[in-house]
Amino acid sequence: MDARMLYNGEFMKKIVLTAALLPLFVWAQESSYTAYSSSFNQSAFIPDIALIVDTTYTNRNIKDNQQENLSLLGTEYPEYVEFNTNNGFNLNYAELSLHSDVDQVFELDGVFHFNTEGVEIEEAYFTTRALPWHLRLKGGKFKSDFGRHNHQHQHAWDFADAPLVYTTFLSPEGLNNAGLQLQWLAPTPWYMMAGVELMQSGNGASFSNESFDNVEAARAPALTVGYLKNSFDIDDTTILFGVSAATGDFKSEEKAVDARTKLYGADLLVKSYFNSYSYLGWQSELLYRDMSGSDVAADSDFAIKQAGAYSQLVYAYNRNWRAGVRYDTIFKNEIDGDKQSDNLDKYTLMAEYNPSEFSRLRAQYSHSSAFEDATTGNIQDINEFILELNIAIGSHGAHAF
Amino acid sequence: MQKYLFLLLLIVPALFAKVQVAVSYPYIAALTKAVGGDNVEVATLAKGNWDPHFVVPRPSLIRQVAQADLLIINGAQLEIGWMPPLIAKSNNARIQPGTKGFLDLSHFVTLINKPSSVSRSGGDIHPDGNPHFSTDPFIMPSLADAIAAQLTRIDPEHAAAYQNNAEAFTQQWKQKLAVWEKEMAPLKGKKVVQYHELYNYFLKRFGLVSIGNIEPLPGINPSSRHTMELIDQMKAQNVTLILQDVYHNPKTAAYIAEKTGAHVVTLPHDVDAVHEADTLENLYNTMVERVTQP
Repeated sequence: MDARMLYNGEFMKKIVLTAALLPLFVWAQESSYTAYSSSFNQSAFIPDIALIVDTTYTNRNIKDNQQENLSLLGTEYPEYVEFNTNNGFNLNYAELSLHSDVDQVFELDGVFHFNTEGVEIEEAYFTTRALPWHLRLKGGKFKSDFGRHNHQHQHAWDFADAPLVYTTFLSPEGLNNAGLQLQWLAPTPWYMMAGVELMQSGNGASFSNESFDNVEAARAPALTVGYLKNSFDIDDTTILFGVSAATGDFKSEEKAVDARTKLYGADLLVKSYFNSYSYLGWQSELLYRDMSGSDVAADSDFAIKQAGAYSQLVYAYNRNWRAGVRYDTIFKNEIDGDKQSDNLDKYTLMAEYNPSEFSRLRAQYSHSSAFEDATTGNIQDINEFILELNIAIGSHGAHAF
Repeated sequence: MQKYLFLLLLIVPALFAKVQVAVSYPYIAALTKAVGGDNVEVATLAKGNWDPHFVVPRPSLIRQVAQADLLIINGAQLEIGWMPPLIAKSNNARIQPGTKGFLDLSHFVTLINKPSSVSRSGGDIHPDGNPHFSTDPFIMPSLADAIAAQLTRIDPEHAAAYQNNAEAFTQQWKQKLAVWEKEMAPLKGKKVVQYHELYNYFLKRFGLVSIGNIEPLPGINPSSRHTMELIDQMKAQNVTLILQDVYHNPKTAAYIAEKTGAHVVTLPHDVDAVHEADTLENLYNTMVERVTQP
């Protein structure tokens, strides 16, 4: 400090004034603190808050900008890659999730993805707590319960990326939009659940609803989803199987199409538990996409029929160690009745170490021969290595089965 | 198809004549059957011989919660990892927390080991206190009373039956408590080691002292450094008894026993955890027998 300042009258005045006022502040703060904390403190009502960070080191044999040229015949993939985008380090997301009861009628959930691009409302929805007849209503923006994989958040996935058939038919983030969902639990001796969803539309991969040029958007909601799921146990083995269907408009300016899409899915999970911590799970899903309408740019009609599936085996040795293998395939690829290449496969291996329930280190290797390079017209093999760290803090609710 | 559906709707209400109770653990099922008698139908969600913290919320359990008129849980966050999704997915308004169809037994117990500060770096700790009070047989009568009161609220018609059953249970139970207390008396002050802080209520009740755990932190697998420290402690304090639960790997306990000459006792924590513990009474019979005759 400049010594002369000490003799500066103005400065001294400030010090004296501050010293005089300080006890006052302390007193005021003390009194207001006690008054408010005892009578009007609301901290007990703070919702469950969790932050989940997912970060990867990715290494693949193609350059980042080459991804734009890649497509699965007839699918225009990748429109965008949501996770593990670049060679090198990626911050996939920092997910902030909030959950609480609203009152005796509603619960509210909010899930926000922060990444370097900005913030995305992943989900924000209410669910009812007290409807009669085993009904439950959900509304807002949410992940559809179509199939098995779709409703799971990335950090609950068994692999670092989504199955090929989901990425290509429904984009990496899946069927997720504003809408309303009604689910009913049947009074059967086994578990049977039926659900319908009305959604504004999809997210641009198979469903969208836009007005452009001479194309007029359909009356919203433009997407209907329905599913039926059944489950029962044989000793310590759980069997869960479901069928799903989604039908809606596909009016997209970017793709220059005015079409309708029907999507059908079937899923099967067989999971055997050996003890509290160890299990073997076999999960498979099959998706069939039937898309037809007009190509606005070319002024011609088109019809695409495609089917793909994945089948995965995951073994949990104990609470710490898990490993898995997944096979992805697009086995039907027909455009305007012409059979395209349908030998489109991907193989994935993963192993993970979980120091606790709140952190997970995963290594994954995959080999794909599913995509064509538009510039060369050849299938481009992709070898990809991902090292993923997923960590969670705060109160994150237990996951459903 | 529709005909069958209607048939189903006709049959199902007939099954609901009794009060349907879903309970999280087998010991609660035993208590509920003792109090409810013929007026209740009990479904148990978790297995007695698996880790009570890690129950898989499989869809068949959703079905059982959906059918229930009353859901009874242990509470104190023991079910935090698996019960919330079952309640949410059951689409059952009757058993939501805060309604008369939901009973949290931990509200009727004075919890011990409540941590003064919590951090996840300390492992899977229970912020409300130790939830494993089912290892103390002296707590059971008050839990039976709580269950009787809740059943009365749901099914007032059979109030007298629930009251009588609870009283009869307590009368019989008191005789058994006297026996167990007598058998355990010589062990007062005995020092033991346990895998997880699973038996603290049992130990506290009968005056035994736990000097350490095999797991370094709650829910974290044993480490060699911690095991070595524990062996030194046990030697220094002359500990001769290791309490091992049925769902954790017993190899570390066996290793420590070999190094220290202590006995490993596999102790049930719930009904059906071991073959002999097939009833609530036999649960404590087995515990007392195994601790007193290692």
